[in-house]
Amino acid sequence: MNPVARLLSLGRNFGFAVVLLVVLLAINLILSPGRFQPGSWGALVGLAAPLIGAAIASTPVILAGRGGIDISVGPLMGFVNALTIQVLFLGTGISSPPVLVPAALLVGALVGAANGFLATIVRIQPIVATLGTYLILTGVTLTILPAPIGPAPAWLKALSGPLSMLPLAAMFIVWWLVRRTPYYDQLMAVGSDDRAAYTAGVDVTRVRFIAYIMTGILGGCAGLMLTALIGSADPNIGPTYTLIAIAAVALGGVSLAGGRGGVAGAAIGAIDIFLLQSVLTTFNVSTFVLQIAYGAILVLAVMLTALQERLAMGRR
Amino acid sequence: MADRAALDFGGLAVRDLVIAPGASPITQAIAPGEIVGLAGLDGHGQELFLKMLAGLEPPHGGSIELGSSDASRKITGFRKAVASGIAYLPRDRRANGIFPTQSVLDNFAVSTLSRDTRLGLISPSARKARYDFYREKLSIVAPRPDAPITTLSGGNQQKVLLARALALEPAILLLNDPTRGVDVATRHVLYDVFRGLASDGMGLVILSSEIEEILLLCQRVLVFRENEVAAEISGDALTTDSVISAMFGRAA
Repeated sequence: MNPVARLLSLGRNFGFAVVLLVVLLAINLILSPGRFQPGSWGALVGLAAPLIGAAIASTPVILAGRGGIDISVGPLMGFVNALTIQVLFLGTGISSPPVLVPAALLVGALVGAANGFLATIVRIQPIVATLGTYLILTGVTLTILPAPIGPAPAWLKALSGPLSMLPLAAMFIVWWLVRRTPYYDQLMAVGSDDRAAYTAGVDVTRVRFIAYIMTGILGGCAGLMLTALIGSADPNIGPTYTLIAIAAVALGGVSLAGGRGGVAGAAIGAIDIFLLQSVLTTFNVSTFVLQIAYGAILVLAVMLTALQERLAMGRR
Repeated sequence: MADRAALDFGGLAVRDLVIAPGASPITQAIAPGEIVGLAGLDGHGQELFLKMLAGLEPPHGGSIELGSSDASRKITGFRKAVASGIAYLPRDRRANGIFPTQSVLDNFAVSTLSRDTRLGLISPSARKARYDFYREKLSIVAPRPDAPITTLSGGNQQKVLLARALALEPAILLLNDPTRGVDVATRHVLYDVFRGLASDGMGLVILSSEIEEILLLCQRVLVFRENEVAAEISGDALTTDSVISAMFGRAA
């Protein structure tokens, strides 16, 4: 196998995200070796975690296909952030993980169920339905928390430091289990071709509805990661994750048409964006240029993936 | 009464089924082990009839019932049909059948996912074993079951879809133009499979756009014209001429 073919076969699974990951990691290691010392891995992962979490959370509904998308993931993270700190921790004084974690996941599940209801049962186009949820959640978050407030419980802050791998590992284990259930095959079948899935006896609406709930639960978890990272509650940060998470998902080779890709690709896409950010900040580039770079890399990666797919088709 | 007998044997009983407004009702019984052909010019109701048997289209009147030893079950919808033991192989496999992004194995297993689970999780080896059984039975040529289904030839894709339907272990198998776009060698493999299934006691309904195919396989043919059964032909009367005459509405 020549190097080009090897590159192409890697690209088949994750787009060019993996190649980009290796290149960006190498550049980062050369530019700022200190930042990537083993001792600081915990904090580094904690810094990247909310974006990785948001990208993973966005994946299930996109896999379910037919325009499935949840743009309310970012505001949901912000809402969970505000709710856990302002209402539960500061308001009622509850700080124990066995209460806060299930509460966050439950809120996520409920928001996901609402999105799922609108998108699959009422059948509003997913982007419009979740845009509604986006605006509602943003408004509600600002109502319960007009200005940033702190602090967060100590155990939660630890989740962005030494224990930052824990929530991510939990997400991956959950997804690994989902992958082995009959549901996963139905999800991919629905995403691949929903009419064929219906004719094969799959309950398309149910499968999509559950995908929205999964996105909600994972989004709730990402909200906790965000809370851990900022160590406080801030009503304005959450919504900024929505679009960049979708960029990460697309970069990671998950087809927005559904049925292709997975959580691992989305996570790699998110790490790419994080590393790119890291490279550009060592050059002291302004955040505006950062945006341009995200956009350029995204378009380039998606183009290369499409090109590679076309080449693969042509060979057949 | 023919349909009563069919119910007792576990066949499919169609009573006064109206497939289009104003058309005269159809009463038929499909017995186990029988291969019934559906013929007609395109769009004259034969496909609608087959889809109604599958529960995919709501009838305009009448009922469809699948008999079994304990109780007979009315077919009121697609899911009900599948649960009762009716499997349907769609016509246009590119649009309604295959999942192009999924592997051969996934494509095979999608209708019967819960049969491979151990404690709620899928056992890949159980699925592979199940697939291997049908691969042998249908002589599917697929070097790697984990490769995308689009790497297979049209005939083999069709066999995988047939394996998917057979994995449901149906009492009645509905085939919508099953050999369309399939090479001649594969066709004959499929014909042998269909005959084998019928001799094992499965009732088959085959819609085909090729009269030769129907003459080769079926004991009985329903010829559709203007959403009605224009003729029911069986035995020695079943010839190319008689089917074509009925299709065009001429007296045979």
